[in-house]
Amino acid sequence: MTALMDFLTVVTQPDLLLLVGLGTFAGVYVGAIPGLSVTMAVSILISFTFAWDVYPAISLMIGIYMGGVYGGSRTAILLNIPGAPSAIATALDGFPMAKRGEAGTAIGVTTVMSFIGGFLGIGVLALAAPLVSDFALKFQPRDYMLLAILGILLVGSLSQGSLVKGIFAGALGIAIGAVGRDPLTFAERFTFNFQILEGGISFIAVMIGMFGVSEALLQLHHVDKDAVRQKISRIVPSLSTVKKHLPLSLQTSAIGVTIGALPGTGGDIAALMAYDHAKRVTKNPERPFGDGAMEGLVAPETANNAAVGGAFIPMMTLGIPGDAVTAIMIGALFIHGLNPGPMLMIDQPDMFWFIVGCLVMANCFMLLFGLTGIKLFTKIVEMPRSVLIPLIMLLSIVGAYAVNNAIADVYWMLGFGIFGYFMRHYGYPLGPVILGVILSRLLDDNWRRAIISEREDLGAFFAGILTSPLSLVLFVAVILIFVSQTPIWGRAKSQLFKRRDAQS
Amino acid sequence: MQHIDPEHHDGTSDATPGGELDKRRPGELAFAAFLLLASLGLLWSAFGIENPFGPNGLSSPRSIPVATTLAMAVAAAIVFLTTVRLPLDNAESFAKDILPGVVLLFVVFLVAYGLLLRPLGFLPTSALFLVASIKILAKRGWLWTLGVSLGSLLVIWLIFRIVFTVLMPAGIVPEAEFIQFFRGLSSGGAEQ
Amino acid sequence: MKRILVGALGALALTATAAIAEYPEKEIQGIIQWGAGGSTDTVMRSVTPHAEEALGGTVVMQNMTGAVGAIALNHVAGSAADGYTLLMGAENPMLYKIMGLGDKDYGEFIPISILARGTPILVANPDAPFNDYAEMIAHIKENPGEVKFGSTGPGGLPSVINAMIGAVEGELDVTSVPYDGDGPALTGLQGGAIDVMPAVLGAAIEGIRAGNMKPLAVMDVAANEQLPDAPYVTQFNEAYSTYLPWGPFFGVFVPKGTPDDVVAKLADAYAAGAQHPDFVQLMNDRGFTLMGISGEEADAFLTKWQQGTAWLLQDAGLTKASPEEFGIARPGE
Repeated sequence: MTALMDFLTVVTQPDLLLLVGLGTFAGVYVGAIPGLSVTMAVSILISFTFAWDVYPAISLMIGIYMGGVYGGSRTAILLNIPGAPSAIATALDGFPMAKRGEAGTAIGVTTVMSFIGGFLGIGVLALAAPLVSDFALKFQPRDYMLLAILGILLVGSLSQGSLVKGIFAGALGIAIGAVGRDPLTFAERFTFNFQILEGGISFIAVMIGMFGVSEALLQLHHVDKDAVRQKISRIVPSLSTVKKHLPLSLQTSAIGVTIGALPGTGGDIAALMAYDHAKRVTKNPERPFGDGAMEGLVAPETANNAAVGGAFIPMMTLGIPGDAVTAIMIGALFIHGLNPGPMLMIDQPDMFWFIVGCLVMANCFMLLFGLTGIKLFTKIVEMPRSVLIPLIMLLSIVGAYAVNNAIADVYWMLGFGIFGYFMRHYGYPLGPVILGVILSRLLDDNWRRAIISEREDLGAFFAGILTSPLSLVLFVAVILIFVSQTPIWGRAKSQLFKRRDAQS
Repeated sequence: MQHIDPEHHDGTSDATPGGELDKRRPGELAFAAFLLLASLGLLWSAFGIENPFGPNGLSSPRSIPVATTLAMAVAAAIVFLTTVRLPLDNAESFAKDILPGVVLLFVVFLVAYGLLLRPLGFLPTSALFLVASIKILAKRGWLWTLGVSLGSLLVIWLIFRIVFTVLMPAGIVPEAEFIQFFRGLSSGGAEQ
Repeated sequence: MKRILVGALGALALTATAAIAEYPEKEIQGIIQWGAGGSTDTVMRSVTPHAEEALGGTVVMQNMTGAVGAIALNHVAGSAADGYTLLMGAENPMLYKIMGLGDKDYGEFIPISILARGTPILVANPDAPFNDYAEMIAHIKENPGEVKFGSTGPGGLPSVINAMIGAVEGELDVTSVPYDGDGPALTGLQGGAIDVMPAVLGAAIEGIRAGNMKPLAVMDVAANEQLPDAPYVTQFNEAYSTYLPWGPFFGVFVPKGTPDDVVAKLADAYAAGAQHPDFVQLMNDRGFTLMGISGEEADAFLTKWQQGTAWLLQDAGLTKASPEEFGIARPGE
């Protein structure tokens, strides 16, 4: 009963409700602008809400978090520039829809699906948090490594066109992620003795360059063409559409919660894995993936919002952050005199239920703000390109700088922007590059942890995989997915040969 | 799907923004060669990674970089060899379809922006960039150009500098003094 | 141009306010060496608002990560010594030189305030077959190579504690599994990926209270107020008192050459901030020892810390370059 009262705290106190709403509203816009990240916004809020009580401070932060994760999809759909890493997969099918003038439909589906995913994530948090966190703790370094390999196999689904070029792009991404001082031994990798390279290359800078600047440069080809008029008369998807995608969204939400709950992996990886999953299980999409398939929106958007609830699971039950944003929130709780950790749920269960309540309200606000104010967003796309393109470039520059307050990131962003422009022209997919950068550390660090734990003994390493049920399941999944890609591999090969045949 | 419709695929998703599947686009071979050489260079560099506190075994900081650059080099070699065998697409030209004048101009703009950002500061550099590029692209009057570009710059500056306290290089503009002054005003002269 | 503008604004400001010509006349940048959400970040973001009050100015804090904090250190070292750029960091820079991570350390800076010091503690997975420090040592000696220790890279707290254990007990055959921070390592500990982790008390305290990890020994010469029941290491082996108390610390620094009155003003502000009840409470809860020292006292603390730690690591063979090369004297010489 007290739990219910704590849960309803946020609803019964108008000022808290207002803060959640305000936060969600701001979050949608913060998320939509590439380079303005939720992580940044929440860490600034720590200073800003320093003198406040803990409830209002948490309300505002949760609103921003929920709204921000959703907001990334806006620019991904409308401009092909993901506002946040977790929206990369959304761009793959969202932008083709916008090009047909169906941005309204795309945003509508995205919003409703984000809402559903968000709710499922919160539901798991509320009902099964201790269970899930026990499960998440079971992941050993080798399991994280297998998870990273599983992620790398997504290159296949992210490469439209040539798979070899996709593999190149993925490997390039992993190499980019390795640049700088290795965090485990401080060895310099790919720094060529330049001090500027020691800090590594920010992956947000790579993302903004590859998706933002290269897209803007490409748009210059059509600067005089009128923007596509967007139909925004019907935004809320019909019940039958929602029903049709409900099974898929349940599956992808499960992916989202699990990946979100694992410390060290978050919504970005969850969304990409969900996209891949959708591609696998959808037998007959109305349109092919990459061409505006509805499933291609449903999967990543349910997954990344479900990951929010997931990220709170280890935070609330163990005091271990599920991702970067929850790491900052733990700091905020400390500053406000609480002791986040395994005892928090026992000592102060009110905090747990209050956070669940805030998440629920933030999710509802997200639905509200997501389905309204679309007109303003579509106006942005209908702005003359002659103004839009320079603005995108400027925002990309400021955004890259803002990540780590480093001018070097601006140079990287511009460099990768120009490089990405040529990659697009010559048919190299960009998705795998980002995938590689995201997974680089996960793969590298955990491979080394795993093999060090076995004292460099490969035999013991494989024995470990085969004797642990969790590792075995992941290992089998890796093998299955790899084999299931062989037809694609075969098709790609036959395509290569077709090219050759055509020549002779 | 033999022919990729350039209208439909003008840079959307990850597909090729034009060109035909069985032809080589202008510059494609040079790009493939560049990637191959760069991959080999990185592979060589990866072999040079030394573990400062131990042997260069399986667990060293070298292992994954060597594996991944090797994959890059092999993939780049395959791509290069396939590209070599394709006939050049004569319907396209590098200067028209790959790097038209306006794109080249913006590449130059962006490089110039990078060079000027530190000495000149964020506000003047961005103002120059926006005014010049919007003037060139929109071909409208000066009043409109200045209004649009400076107006949007102000909004961006307010969001990033004031709300998100991102301190872009100030350069020649005494931004911080400005802000302190307004802060002094808004606190009603209560500055100690 | 700039001067005229500032002058005009200053004149304007004079009419509106009493006087703002004195430091700080604009906002101050605080560069945090570590990422958002980490210990350094939390400490700095909780003390600075109190210091701002005393200072009557604004400190804009930014996280600048990379190369174990060296990026931020070099950035601040290269900025003007006018008191408008502060470095908010932890102990690591004192080991940059001997670890080959850079040619600068806090020697290039004036300490504004050494805020607090942490206490290391050895914690183990609850299922580990030993319950205190003595049993652990015995177990390791009986099962060489079996026990997995977490570490956070060369020069991190675990490597120093390992060096200390090696110096006292002789070389132990354990496997060191590297993590990129004590948070992830403690997560691994709870999942059974590692058996023992030398961590800072504050990071482990909640896990200990909940029984998710067990304390083997507090690495200190006396029992800790926060964990009065946990054994301390000199109970097991008196030889540790040569090296203890030792611990990581947090501090605020400005580049050398900053005017004395500015340094004094900042030092006063941070000293006041460190005394604020909220901050004292936070430090206590997290098991940190409040210091709030500055000036010569802080200089002496830094020198002593660097000498002890650098030579400990050197003797354990964990350095890339000898402390001698950088004029770091062996303690007691």
